[in-house]
Amino acid sequence: MDMTTFLQQMINGFSLGSMYALIAIGYTMVYGVLRLINFAHGDIMMVGAFLVYLAHAAGLGFPASVLVGIIGAILVGVLTDKIAYKPLREAPKISLLITAIGISFFLENLFNVLFGGVPKAFPAPDYLTKVLHPGDLYLPMTAIVIPIVTLLILAGVLWVLYRTKYGMAIRALAFDIPTVKLMGINADAIISLVFALGSGLAAVGGIFYAISYPSIDPLMGIIVGLKAFAAAVLGGIGSVTGAVLGGFILGFTEILVVAGFPELGGYKDAFAFFFLILVLLFRPTGIMGEDLDRSRF
Amino acid sequence: MKKVLSIAAAAALMSGAAMAKEVKIGVVLPLTGPIAAFGQTSKGGLDIAYEQNNKLKNGDTVKLVVLDDRGDKVEAATAVKRLLDKDGVTVILGEVASSNSMAMAPVAEKAKTPMITHASTNPRVTKGKKYVTRACFIDPFQGAVMAKYALDNGMKNAVIVTDAKQDYSVGLSKAFKKAYTAAGGTIAKTVLINSGDKDFNAQVATIKAANPAIIAFTGYYPEAALMVRQARAMGVKAPFIGADGVGFPELVKIGGKDAEGFMYTDHFNEAAASSAEAKAYVDAFHKKYNKPADTMGALAADAYGMILSAMNKCIDAGKASDDKECINTNLRGTKGFKGITGVININANGDAVKSAVVNVVKDGKFAYKTTVNP
Repeated sequence: MDMTTFLQQMINGFSLGSMYALIAIGYTMVYGVLRLINFAHGDIMMVGAFLVYLAHAAGLGFPASVLVGIIGAILVGVLTDKIAYKPLREAPKISLLITAIGISFFLENLFNVLFGGVPKAFPAPDYLTKVLHPGDLYLPMTAIVIPIVTLLILAGVLWVLYRTKYGMAIRALAFDIPTVKLMGINADAIISLVFALGSGLAAVGGIFYAISYPSIDPLMGIIVGLKAFAAAVLGGIGSVTGAVLGGFILGFTEILVVAGFPELGGYKDAFAFFFLILVLLFRPTGIMGEDLDRSRF
Repeated sequence: MKKVLSIAAAAALMSGAAMAKEVKIGVVLPLTGPIAAFGQTSKGGLDIAYEQNNKLKNGDTVKLVVLDDRGDKVEAATAVKRLLDKDGVTVILGEVASSNSMAMAPVAEKAKTPMITHASTNPRVTKGKKYVTRACFIDPFQGAVMAKYALDNGMKNAVIVTDAKQDYSVGLSKAFKKAYTAAGGTIAKTVLINSGDKDFNAQVATIKAANPAIIAFTGYYPEAALMVRQARAMGVKAPFIGADGVGFPELVKIGGKDAEGFMYTDHFNEAAASSAEAKAYVDAFHKKYNKPADTMGALAADAYGMILSAMNKCIDAGKASDDKECINTNLRGTKGFKGITGVININANGDAVKSAVVNVVKDGKFAYKTTVNP
């Protein structure tokens, strides 16, 4: 591999990694509070991207469509919590997990019935899909924008968690729900807030995913949701910074497997998950996870 | 005894002469799910063929029983069982994806029921089967057409892109490689992708470094559309050539201007339709759907036409219109059937021997380039 190709692959890894990181942040946040692996996260992502597509098709401009997508996804997320998860607050965690899988199937099939399974072209605006050409390299605009958005969101989430009263309530909730209730905090409202934040982040992730790869379909959230989950686990699930780190590691691993061994490229997912297993063998709580009881964000 | 016989004779007379029967054709298609586009378009063409002709020579009527398998092989096999046990169909038509047809074939074979797939091109679908026929050509031919077209146009150095998850793509890549290298072409590199993936930048960078004259893409359209975008964004200028899995409107809708110049082999292009049968179908299609006639629909209509032709031959031979053995013999023995996608001959394996067309994306449309005969 010559130097140009190598640098190009580095750019590719960085760009894919930041994509995973962006989606993993939302995944890990919901887990940090509720100890719920929200399998519907990838599907909320899909909902966000689809709403942008629909709003744009209805004649709205791109920025306005993005707003519709994010707000719509937040509503779906909060509604899901109220209808499906809230009745299970006192139930064993496994019931919640199964419900999350159910919600995931429900959303996928609902959109399949409503809009069909044929992939649709996402209306990504030119200023976000253009490609810069420094020297012999090709640098997609998204490879610059997505990491910046990821860092901004990371900073934003950390700010909410550590610098606001709501954040304090969220962190308290992560430790002990009954005690938080005894302190006079409306735990349900805070949990809704977590879902709202998580779903909003999922929508942002979904929209940027659709801008990078402008083809959307009702099942688009499955694989990328799984990857984001893997990234979150790799980084230490529950740790927001860890999720970002995990996303980058996963992205680079995938790209390097394809770049280094093109004839094994079909098995890149296998390599990525093998790497995940390897890390978990030596650090069962992930890279940034401290220990099972104490790690919260 | 005498009485019983005479009643039986009377009944036989009644059913034979006076009462027209209803013959059922079971149809299994992916009407929802990831490859719903294939199923929906197949159904569109089938509906037209059915409206044009649903009566047999002796006045028997044909009825379609359509089931959706959601693009899933297990569902496809279950659907065949249901069609046989519950609906009592005489013939099975379907599926599109080779993997699904391969799941259906053993069920039909066991029940000694003729099955015809209109669009599954993997050779293994009919291999070793007595009751399975197809209305389309197979991948070794399609791969050879791709190779020949590339070489005829002076492109002697290729990168192959294979979708490692699809039997179709793996088989097609093999066929392309064999025909291409045998005729003097060289394969610079083979890169693998997975259907469902969206990021192909790593593969594209590898292709760019290999600097081929042509990129042979053997997968399906969702990946083709995204890959051609990413390739053009990274400055890869080599043209793409694919097969019948890429010729869908979404290639252009998602690929945008980057899809321009994408070539592919196909079964049908309405611009090449010259026979009276093809023209009648294309006219009816435009009238009903108000859009260009697609490949899947035309193939499904041909498979349906072949079934009716086989049934009519049975009637001519004095057999019942639902005689499975007779229908199968006539389906497998189809010669010179004037279809919408060309003249169809079935060879000893049950595969159709027929011409292929080469299309190219031009101004956002699928333009006809040439016809290649077997």
